[in-house]
Amino acid sequence: MYVPQEFISMYLPAIYAGLIVGFIGTMAIAINRRELHILILTDIVGLAMIFVVSAVGTDLAEALILPGLVVELAETLAISEILITREMRKIEQDPRANLTKSSSIFPQAFSLNMEIMTTAPNFIALVLIGYGIFLTGFTGGAVAGGGIVLYALSKKARGLPVLMLDGIAGVSGIAWCLWIIGFLLFFVTPQYWLLSLFLAACGLLLKVASKVGLIGLLMREDIDNE
Amino acid sequence: MLMISVSLFFYFGIFLAIVGSIATAWGPGVSDPVVRTFNTEIAAIGVCLVLLCYNHVLALLTLLATTVIITLILFRAIIRLEEMGADV
Repeated sequence: MYVPQEFISMYLPAIYAGLIVGFIGTMAIAINRRELHILILTDIVGLAMIFVVSAVGTDLAEALILPGLVVELAETLAISEILITREMRKIEQDPRANLTKSSSIFPQAFSLNMEIMTTAPNFIALVLIGYGIFLTGFTGGAVAGGGIVLYALSKKARGLPVLMLDGIAGVSGIAWCLWIIGFLLFFVTPQYWLLSLFLAACGLLLKVASKVGLIGLLMREDIDNE
Repeated sequence: MLMISVSLFFYFGIFLAIVGSIATAWGPGVSDPVVRTFNTEIAAIGVCLVLLCYNHVLALLTLLATTVIITLILFRAIIRLEEMGADV
């Protein structure tokens, strides 16, 4: 009744494809020894997850794929940082190794010396963040995060003070609380669905915007290298 | 009326995803992490086709965005580790 007839006939092939892809990915992870390769292969297992979830074929599938993808992104970011930090430790402990200056994704020095980067960003970032707050939800979070990234890329502030990182973590916690309260109200008092919808949407906005902003601030470290 | 065979796209997407994951796991030249990262893109394109058949627009757009960001993160890790002289 809720699922179209074509999607029902596509269910079994999609599930089997997901199982096959997941099996290939996990076997390759089991065989490999090097951590970086294992990190790349987790991507394949994530794709298998998307197959299995998308086989549901309704809006529920879409609602489950989005957080899965975002969590996978955060996980990849965290593990790659851990690998880099551990390798740096190893080099620091070895007195014979010569520690070169830290490298970046851009081989040449990548300086954004455009006039618009010094004059416009305040206004454009403000517009983007305002429009993102107006949109709310996942899309709004992405737009507002884009505004934060633009501001971080164009301003010359180097590094991130500890206080600010703590503040972003606190905002993230408040966002989780809003989301969970909204979710609870959906089930306890369904007549207040609009309130709970807006609680969840604003929570998601804060969450996504702060995540995207953090990624932008991390990339800023790379771009500023001369 | 223009007819697009949805099942053709669907099975081609499944085929691409399986071939891409085999290529990532045991394909030629995967001892180089850059080649392995590129091979994951083949499987990602297959998943994109499957999501297209299911009309999951938001999921498709998010998958595209996260694939790009994950590729950037992986390249950053590969380059840093290689310049530090780790065996990658």
